[in-house]
Amino acid sequence: MLRYWDETAGSDGNTKPPWEQLIAALERLGKRELAARRAHARRIIEENGVTYNVYGDPRGAERPWVLDTIPILIDASEWQVLEAAIQQRAELLNRLLADLYGPQRLLREDLLPPELVFAHPGFLRPCHGLALPGNRYVHTYAVDLARSPDGQWWVLGDRIQAPAGAGYALENRLVMSRAMPELFGEFYVHRLAEYFQAYRAALAQIAPAGCENPRIVLLTPGPLNETYFEHAYLARYLGFPLVEGADLTVRDSRVYLKTLSGLQRVDVILRRQDAHFCDPLELFGESALGVPGLVRAVRAGRVTIANALGSGLVETPATMAFLPGLCRQLLGEELRIPSVATWWCGQQRELEYALAHLDQLVWKPAFPGPADTRVDMLVGDTLTRKQRQGLEARIRARPHRWVAQEKVALSTVPTGDPGNLNPRHMVLRAYAVAHDRGWTVMPGGLTRVSSRGDSLVVTSQRGGASKDTWVLAAEPTPFVTLLPPATSPEEVSRRTASLTSRVADDLLWLGRGTERVEASVRLFRAAFQALADEPLRVSDLPAPESVRLIQCMGKIPSPEETPGSLQERLLGALFDRTIATSVGHSVGEVHRLASVLRDQISPDAWRVLGRLDSAFIGPSAHPARRVSATLELLDSALLRITAFTGLVSESMTRGLGWQFLEIGRRFERAIQVVQLLYHGLLEGLPEDSRRLELVLSVADSAMTYRSRYQTSIQLPLVLDLLLFDELNPRSVCFQLVRLEERFSSLHRAPLEELRMLLERLRTAQLDELIALHAGEDGRQTRAELARLLEALDAGLPALSDALTHAYLIHILPQRQGPSFRPAKP
Amino acid sequence: MLYRVVHQTRYTYSGPASTSHNLGHLLPRRTDRQKLHQLELRIDPSPTDVESYQDYFGNDVVVFTLLEPHEQMCVRTQSWIEVTAPALTQLDTSPAWEEVVSSLRRREDPDAFAALEMIWESPFVDTGPEFAAYARPSFPPTRRLLDALLDFNHRIFSEFHYDPEATTLATPIHKVLQERHGVCQDYAHLMIGCLRSLGLPARYVSGYIRSADAPADAARGSGAELVGSEASHAWVSAWCPPYGWLDLDPTNDLVPSDQHVLLAYGRDYDDVSPLKGVTLGGGKHTIEVQVDVRPTQTLPASTGPSASTGL
Repeated sequence: MLRYWDETAGSDGNTKPPWEQLIAALERLGKRELAARRAHARRIIEENGVTYNVYGDPRGAERPWVLDTIPILIDASEWQVLEAAIQQRAELLNRLLADLYGPQRLLREDLLPPELVFAHPGFLRPCHGLALPGNRYVHTYAVDLARSPDGQWWVLGDRIQAPAGAGYALENRLVMSRAMPELFGEFYVHRLAEYFQAYRAALAQIAPAGCENPRIVLLTPGPLNETYFEHAYLARYLGFPLVEGADLTVRDSRVYLKTLSGLQRVDVILRRQDAHFCDPLELFGESALGVPGLVRAVRAGRVTIANALGSGLVETPATMAFLPGLCRQLLGEELRIPSVATWWCGQQRELEYALAHLDQLVWKPAFPGPADTRVDMLVGDTLTRKQRQGLEARIRARPHRWVAQEKVALSTVPTGDPGNLNPRHMVLRAYAVAHDRGWTVMPGGLTRVSSRGDSLVVTSQRGGASKDTWVLAAEPTPFVTLLPPATSPEEVSRRTASLTSRVADDLLWLGRGTERVEASVRLFRAAFQALADEPLRVSDLPAPESVRLIQCMGKIPSPEETPGSLQERLLGALFDRTIATSVGHSVGEVHRLASVLRDQISPDAWRVLGRLDSAFIGPSAHPARRVSATLELLDSALLRITAFTGLVSESMTRGLGWQFLEIGRRFERAIQVVQLLYHGLLEGLPEDSRRLELVLSVADSAMTYRSRYQTSIQLPLVLDLLLFDELNPRSVCFQLVRLEERFSSLHRAPLEELRMLLERLRTAQLDELIALHAGEDGRQTRAELARLLEALDAGLPALSDALTHAYLIHILPQRQGPSFRPAKP
Repeated sequence: MLYRVVHQTRYTYSGPASTSHNLGHLLPRRTDRQKLHQLELRIDPSPTDVESYQDYFGNDVVVFTLLEPHEQMCVRTQSWIEVTAPALTQLDTSPAWEEVVSSLRRREDPDAFAALEMIWESPFVDTGPEFAAYARPSFPPTRRLLDALLDFNHRIFSEFHYDPEATTLATPIHKVLQERHGVCQDYAHLMIGCLRSLGLPARYVSGYIRSADAPADAARGSGAELVGSEASHAWVSAWCPPYGWLDLDPTNDLVPSDQHVLLAYGRDYDDVSPLKGVTLGGGKHTIEVQVDVRPTQTLPASTGPSASTGL
């Protein structure tokens, strides 16, 4: 029977005083209150959209982050030991890289086997011999720590390629301070803000010489990456633009950010993209991702990348086997915290030992494979005899590609309720950042716990939870915020952040999407209101006018496409995301865009869209739902959309981002009104006042009409209100006038074309329409109206395209290389 | 032998290409056996910037960028190179191949230790027991390395079928080994993979071979055409002490003397592909490559690096 170290126990076997104090505080809160707090924490996480993407999950993979509301406590003296060890190890790995990408003395002196460099696909030869500022390769470092049954700390792994998780640690702290505020009164907990302050200062320091006010960007692989949430979160918190490879370009060996206001120089890149994919020209011959010419810019010393390209090399667990000797050689001291016992099988003796103990060890590839063939670790004692034989054969065929490690009996921490505490195994990920005088360690970290009590596997990929990590201080810690102190007076700044073309494009489509959802929801609400009044019991009864309007507008799939009753098809058109024209599909698209734009829109606005999205999925969206419940859902959906547009108009600065969001909304609203008028007034429906009333109410102008005219509803007045009235925020003319304002401030917008369309609308004389309407049968009115609406229907999307072409051209790069096919002899 | 070498690569795009970043291993390497008298590089349209540096393996690399929209790009080098046949004098002292394998890690000879870098897998060249097994008949215990290499070079030539249609750049060498056909690049990658799997250093050589219709051939009465003469060629360089790196051309079953012109060497094609690039726009592209390697008696009037590029 394995025994584990209990994090709450002191050396005397009794519960340590701080843990006793914590458990007492939890008990005082009581079971009921704790359950409420846990629910609160879960809600905050959901609303903040804290997610972790799981690779290979067919359901789209955004998994909510799981936080256990009992923190882990680490006292000051213990932390001091860890802190010194983390600083030592970070610097050791940095010096190791400086040698491997420089003189390679350590290989000649036999302190590291040459295979671990030369056979490692992460040894990026184009990055060898580059003169980096301060000869520094590692700027930010993360390390996984665990404790064995005797209380000894061990290092399980080093993270340098893209040291993830610091943002989640910060988010955990923020959630805890809201969900469990009184616990912070019990202890002096080290704050995390100082660390991020140091982090930002450190990145500003490493800019190439001569950069007064360096521009720092965070380079992300994009929304599909497992920790994309964190990239957006950190970018926002630190105030760096979040960019993808296609947002950057290299000109004359300098890196520039492509923004709407032109190219802007980039001095420092905080890299969360694997180095392989950073420069398709020099680093990975098969990919078109990344920034062609980036290595050239580094070579020319015109940009600093943190961590340096190629630094992922020493992440291999094989390196661990050689760190004690390397530490003595490079730092002249002993390694402060040992690595978990590691056997690299490229050595004969180690190979034989490890194979003799195959079933007791954990097996890992020494070198990372291509991303699509990621090999997880193999745990010897979970393999069948046949699997073990197969593994041995694979290892013997290519022994230098394998590493065996001891299985650590991870220590346990309590999770759950005070009355019902469950021990779970834990791993602590700690963080450090380099500055010119050494390393600053985050006083805290990300503690992850196993999902089951009997599992020693701790990974977010398999659904384990996390905990806030409290490093206890002897006295209160000063309050630090990332906003600069009041003592350094700063000029009033009205400058708005520059906007990348990609982000502008996404904002435009977010604006269009929200407006499209609003228009559809209003339409469907009218239909369900009618259904509530006269349920569709018998199929041969004529459908309500509103339902037929939806049919006219092509928003319900035909019975041939989707069999089922009209009501079923109506619900399908509303909720079924597999139908591209469905409202649910549009809602999903809006949510996707919003998640890409996390660093552009406010957390409140994001929350509103998150709730809108979840209303349209899940059990509540089931077609079996009754009409009244659907109506309720549509009502609340409408409220959320208006809450979003309200937040945008009240809280978003009038920068370029707002301009594009606004342009998208105005375009789509104009398009939707034109289509409503076209289908509602010219097609299919009988000409009576009910039709006019329906159009007015779907266009949200019924009240305006009633307050203005006491008469019955008349076609010319409706047209005036929805087409020409510059004061009605729902009219087409209103949208075009707003677009004209926006276009006037954008130099490359197709302003002239817009003005021509506006002119066409204004010269379509209302008087003539009325006169015609009064004529014999109104046929000419209809023809004139149809021509106008068709001109708008064609003109608006063309304008939107012209704007896109002027500003937002997005072409992905393609690779080219000569085919190496000599002619036949 | 003095050669005038012309190497031209022309890209034609179906639509306008805008930004284009390119990297070429197009500048012939200078070695003891190869003297570069003159070199001209022409890029059309004119690039916004051109620069040259040495890569990790000491090859000259040229990188250039086009920023103006273009529908064609033509990269042309013209060089005058004097090639000397290797002085294969110390070959009879070649040690047993296993002795060479075990000497590499002794760190006595810096050149041998440097050669160690060429014994592991690389992007286009896998290693493993199946490759060692194929090579094994040429490497019986204690056989002199040189004899083993020549025998193995001949075996690949005779056991593989040269077929430009059978493989692509993406064909892995285990498939080449299974199906026994390919082009010079596949021959070279396969031979390298086999030698490395035995623990022997081997590197990939990119270069040219003397054009088949060169009049000098007729004059010398040599009717034999060398395979690979109309485009870039590829062969192998194996670590063969005490001589050093010995070139082997398994596509033509010979040890290159003065008919091969060296461009660059690396671990495999990926390290030294003659020209690669990343382009925005352009739609579909077609590539046309022309290589002409002709013996000549005279150098052109002006010597020294070309003024047009500053290279």
